[in-house]
Amino acid sequence: MKDYFYLQFQITNRKIKETGINPILAYILGLVAFLLISAYLFQKTEFANYIVLLTCLSLLSKLSENNRTDFLIATFGDRLKNKIRILENGMVSIPFVVVLIYKNAWLEAALLCAIAILFAVFSFKTNVNFTLPTPFSKRPFEFLVGFRKTFYLFPMAYFLTLIAIQVGNFNLGIFSMMLIFGTVLSFFAKPEQAYYVWVHAYTPKKFLLHKIATATQYTSILVAPILVGLLVFYPNEFHIVLLFFLIGLLFVWTIILAKYSAYPNEMSLPEGMLLAFSVYFPPLLLVMIPFFYKKSIHKLKMLLDDQD
Amino acid sequence: MIKINGLHKTYGNNEVLTDINLAFSKGHVYGIVGENGAGKTTLFRCITGLESYTGTIISDLNPLKNHLGLLLTDPFFFSKMTGKEYIRLLCNARAKTNIRIEEKNIFNLPLDQYASTYSTGMKKKLAITAILLQENEYFIFDEPFNGVDIQSNIILTEIILKLKELNKIVLISSHIFSTLSDTCDEIHLLRKGAQIKSVQKSAFKDLEQEMRAFTIGNSIEKLDLK
Repeated sequence: MKDYFYLQFQITNRKIKETGINPILAYILGLVAFLLISAYLFQKTEFANYIVLLTCLSLLSKLSENNRTDFLIATFGDRLKNKIRILENGMVSIPFVVVLIYKNAWLEAALLCAIAILFAVFSFKTNVNFTLPTPFSKRPFEFLVGFRKTFYLFPMAYFLTLIAIQVGNFNLGIFSMMLIFGTVLSFFAKPEQAYYVWVHAYTPKKFLLHKIATATQYTSILVAPILVGLLVFYPNEFHIVLLFFLIGLLFVWTIILAKYSAYPNEMSLPEGMLLAFSVYFPPLLLVMIPFFYKKSIHKLKMLLDDQD
Repeated sequence: MIKINGLHKTYGNNEVLTDINLAFSKGHVYGIVGENGAGKTTLFRCITGLESYTGTIISDLNPLKNHLGLLLTDPFFFSKMTGKEYIRLLCNARAKTNIRIEEKNIFNLPLDQYASTYSTGMKKKLAITAILLQENEYFIFDEPFNGVDIQSNIILTEIILKLKELNKIVLISSHIFSTLSDTCDEIHLLRKGAQIKSVQKSAFKDLEQEMRAFTIGNSIEKLDLK
């Protein structure tokens, strides 16, 4: 188990080094940035508790990937795998829990701890013989695969909206919408194999527009029940609901462009930090979208023909 | 038509393809043979544009890649994607919509199951079906017969002959010589990244003998099997 964590530490350091930053400096900067952003967040928005919770949940769900879990079970066995996963989730959650406790958000902190343990011990596997139906099979692949991997989060989000409407907690309703957007963003976290870009008979521009159009349509389908619910039950807050919906879509467009701007590599740390920073300052997206678009076109020219 | 002139490919200081000059005509099937590491897959990747290279590759249809069906040696499949959805992904990529996928399922694959759960042979058959439904003019099959059962090998051989009849250009690599002699009009032999010789159908037997002699030599005797 010690070797496993040492190896993970080395892999993380290698990834940081690849971005051209000294790992020690990156850890210090990361911690400082985390604290500053958290402080800023709690100063600026009443949704801060939910944003912290959501950010941590998205990291935890990444660690709970089935392939990772399978590897850990095959290598270490069930009991040791549980220990490793609890430790991993604990390490990721601690900074977020500390921030929540410091801000007296005891309920959210307790919820986060419970979910961290739940994610560590249980794997949300579907039966291999059962094919989960999705409304996304006409235009594979991101939503099709992503939805099937994270299907359990959607009823949770819709249930939260129901509670939000029942108890009259508008913020909770907005949080449930952000949970969907956060999940959709995770669909674009990793670059696909070059073959799946190469195979398209599109120009880079058409390829990106196609991806963005599909993502906009499919994200809207996923968000629609929450959007309609909030608009019907909170008609006076319609401008806030629509604003959050629009910002959410802008984030989806940005992550698609950010993904292909680094293609075939994964997004680098500075790009990831830019993206994270724009969570706290969304107007930055208006600069980042054209920036990532230009970079994506350049990267995609390596695999896609630039002539119509 | 596809013409390759003076193609070189290097990884750092290591030259893996040296001065390749080949021409492929419509309605012909070409075999590319060579030992592991001879450069067959790299040559295919250069033709597709997945690898950078020096030299020129020209074709009558441009861009070449948009008319090319590529079967990789070991095709990758997304988890949680069914066979049918995989075919749709590849057809959408070439703007081929409204294809009745079930009717074209000649290998009787369980198209509603996740492709990642398929066996090696089934995965290969799925990838072949998808690139055939893309309605390409050029085809590259890298090791199409590997892992595929005898019945499907027979179907695959017939498909390749049908593609030839339809005036397509087909390039195949295979380590099973008989599969090439059944389908190819010409075979190009690569050794250590260099183009050693090109052989017409009438001389396939001689090429096989020559390859056998070169490969086996006295290596079996060295084993001193008892």
